[in-house]
Amino acid sequence: MKGLKIKKLSKAMNGLKIVEQVTANFLPGRITALIGPNGAGKTTLFHLITSELKVDKGEIVYGDETITNLPPYLVARKGVGRLFQDIRVFGNMTAFENVATACYGPCFETPWFPFFNLKRMKSINNDIRERAFHWLNFVDLAEKKDHPAASLSYGQQKLLAIARLLAGGFSLLLLDEPTAGLNPVMIKNVLRLLEKIITEDRSKTVILVEHNMGVVNEVADWVYFMNEGRIAFFGRTDHVLGDKEVREIYLGL
Amino acid sequence: MNYVLHLLIMIGIYLILSYGLNLVVGFGGLLSLCHAVFYGIGAYTGTLLMIKAGLPFLPAIFLGMVITGLFALIVGLPALRFRGDSFVLVTLGFQMIVFTILYNWIDLTRGPYGIPGIPRPVIAGVEVTELYQYFILVSLFLVVIVAILFVVCRSPFGLALKALRDDEMAAEGLGKSPVHLFLYAFVISGMVASLAGGLYATYVTYIDPTSFTLDESIFLLAILLVGGTGNMIGPLVGTVFMILLPEALRFLGLPDTVAPNVRQMIYGLTLITLMFLRPQGIAGEFKLR
Amino acid sequence: MILLSQLLLNALVNAAIFSLLAVGFGLIYRSMRFFYIAYGAVYVIASYAVVAAMQISGFPLYLSIGAGVFLGVLAGVLMDRTVYLPLERSGATPGVLLIASLGLYILAVNAVALIFGNEVKILSRGIEPSFSLGPLVITRMQVIQFLVGWILVTGFWLIIRKNTLMKGIWAMGETPNLVTALGLPCGLMRLLVFALSSVFAGVASLVTALDVGIDPHVGMHALLIGAVAVIVGGVDVYWGWIGGASLLALLQGMAVWQFSSRWNDLITFGILIITLLFRPQGLFSPRKRREER
Repeated sequence: MKGLKIKKLSKAMNGLKIVEQVTANFLPGRITALIGPNGAGKTTLFHLITSELKVDKGEIVYGDETITNLPPYLVARKGVGRLFQDIRVFGNMTAFENVATACYGPCFETPWFPFFNLKRMKSINNDIRERAFHWLNFVDLAEKKDHPAASLSYGQQKLLAIARLLAGGFSLLLLDEPTAGLNPVMIKNVLRLLEKIITEDRSKTVILVEHNMGVVNEVADWVYFMNEGRIAFFGRTDHVLGDKEVREIYLGL
Repeated sequence: MNYVLHLLIMIGIYLILSYGLNLVVGFGGLLSLCHAVFYGIGAYTGTLLMIKAGLPFLPAIFLGMVITGLFALIVGLPALRFRGDSFVLVTLGFQMIVFTILYNWIDLTRGPYGIPGIPRPVIAGVEVTELYQYFILVSLFLVVIVAILFVVCRSPFGLALKALRDDEMAAEGLGKSPVHLFLYAFVISGMVASLAGGLYATYVTYIDPTSFTLDESIFLLAILLVGGTGNMIGPLVGTVFMILLPEALRFLGLPDTVAPNVRQMIYGLTLITLMFLRPQGIAGEFKLR
Repeated sequence: MILLSQLLLNALVNAAIFSLLAVGFGLIYRSMRFFYIAYGAVYVIASYAVVAAMQISGFPLYLSIGAGVFLGVLAGVLMDRTVYLPLERSGATPGVLLIASLGLYILAVNAVALIFGNEVKILSRGIEPSFSLGPLVITRMQVIQFLVGWILVTGFWLIIRKNTLMKGIWAMGETPNLVTALGLPCGLMRLLVFALSSVFAGVASLVTALDVGIDPHVGMHALLIGAVAVIVGGVDVYWGWIGGASLLALLQGMAVWQFSSRWNDLITFGILIITLLFRPQGLFSPRKRREER
């Protein structure tokens, strides 16, 4: 069971303090929502966790390992997976390939691998195919397997990205607005998926950046409220969403 | 008949070159402008190992490939820190630098005078001198290379490379290492080009640096851009089109004085037209970024 | 010492020409943010227009020079209108623009070669008068190159600082949306950028061609000098381009002194690669590059 600990994390860009002294704790088996107004530093916090941006000060610890400023691919190999706000499917690859590539670990991905494992290749490929189809079915995209990802609709691309993320076997999932731009039916589907993920595997940690308070209310167990780069409040979902100040700053109620 | 065989041999050599480059351009999505460098280094190391060290053909070619691979590693390490325009520029820079060295290091390469009298390949005691023998030799190498590249491209490695090409940030988020994967592709592509260089040198039995200029690198890139990248058909279409075009012009009776310019103009026009109509090339599956 | 001084003097003259090339390239690279390979074609076309005007139509020199620059500008603007602008409107990626630009360059240069032949054309015959500066010698053509180059480059800098439209062009590369937001004439500015860039390419081409002649394939070399100067100096600083150009000229001069001019490309591209690796924002740019992504 690995949790994510963020200690006094700070980041400034072009002289602006985007993330300032953020300390937070994300526990496994729980869906934690990160909410706050636009520009509060939520996505930047994700960028910092995955090392897309360099951390200025502070520490990020996942499990018992420090992952601060590791190259992004190494952070991913520690088990940190991310759903991007702008989806980022591999547009020229088929839906199947999108998911399949996530199934392979780095030791398979050397050019000489197939030549030294001639006999094993067939069973490896079958295994991967099975796993890829499992995740495609999981998000109901099996019939689109041979379509280039770029030709799928926005909602389908989002589902594909989720399938790809799940196929990667990550233990920490950073989901940046998984329901934005989806219609209510799709939102329902994604929520159902989220709950499925967390109930199927209690060792997973899920962090969610979300603007749709209905969604937060429905799935999140715990909420961090960010404002101007700092954690302003945190606590159980009903507590934070019920807080008067939060409602004033953020929800405008 | 000899003319057809000659064309087939040249197509074979260029197919090896373009399939190798396809790994970087088509699967990696990186526009490299120094492929002719690896082609040239392959030709020169192969030749020098045969002439100066007295090695037989096959060991010379393979040692040449290893040396070129090391060189590709040296070029790739700094170059692959860049993307987009900067990558194009750095590879172009290496192209210019290596050409300058080939041209001016007279003691080793004989510079502009070139190296004449390169021995014909001897394989299993048979000297390959006839055109048809040469055609068989090139075809054999081509089949082996294409088969290897086919497996490589279809492997998890090829898939990861395509993922990096389509969206580097997302692929990195899945644990794909751009540093390692691009470097593998770059080195393999350099080694394959080196083999083509060795074949070319022993086929024409004379090399000088003018065969390995920036223009040649542009030509090799153009083959892929015209034919299309990211699969195994594109390079074939591109190579056949680009090699046979000048021959077609010759049949049209263009005088030799203007033919090269007309040919180049058609190449240029083709590139522009394709960028408007089909940026992924005739048979390609991936659009340039 | 005399040899060194003479080489430094030559480098100063070359720096003027390189600066012209750098400003022409940098204008487009900075404001449009794409790699303008066809710049080399403009360079070639301008000089060949002079060849056509002078040697075929028999125009006097000064009229021919005007025709050369004018045709260069026309070529630059036409290439933008027929290829770049439509491609950009259809949402082409930088890679596509780069290749289209390469195609344009190949097409144009070989069209010129088809008409005029591939060999070097000499524009001025006879021996150039030269002046002595103590033990140093400078030809009349070098004086012209020096003056034309440095006056144009300095003058243009003054214009950029004063003129609103030019300031807009400078701002364009940084925040493309700003231009439309400020209500500046976008189309006109684009036209201006291509025209001005062509003027610089044309003038650089002519002062060189009048000295040593021109052949159709030097365009690539001119483009690369301009591009390397801009990138080495720093894309975001005008005087960085000039600094980059001067540094190239100086180092090439030193290379001539120590080895031989045959190694020039090694110097040029060695500097390029080293700069990109260790100071990607350019040698004369104070600011660090904004963080990517």
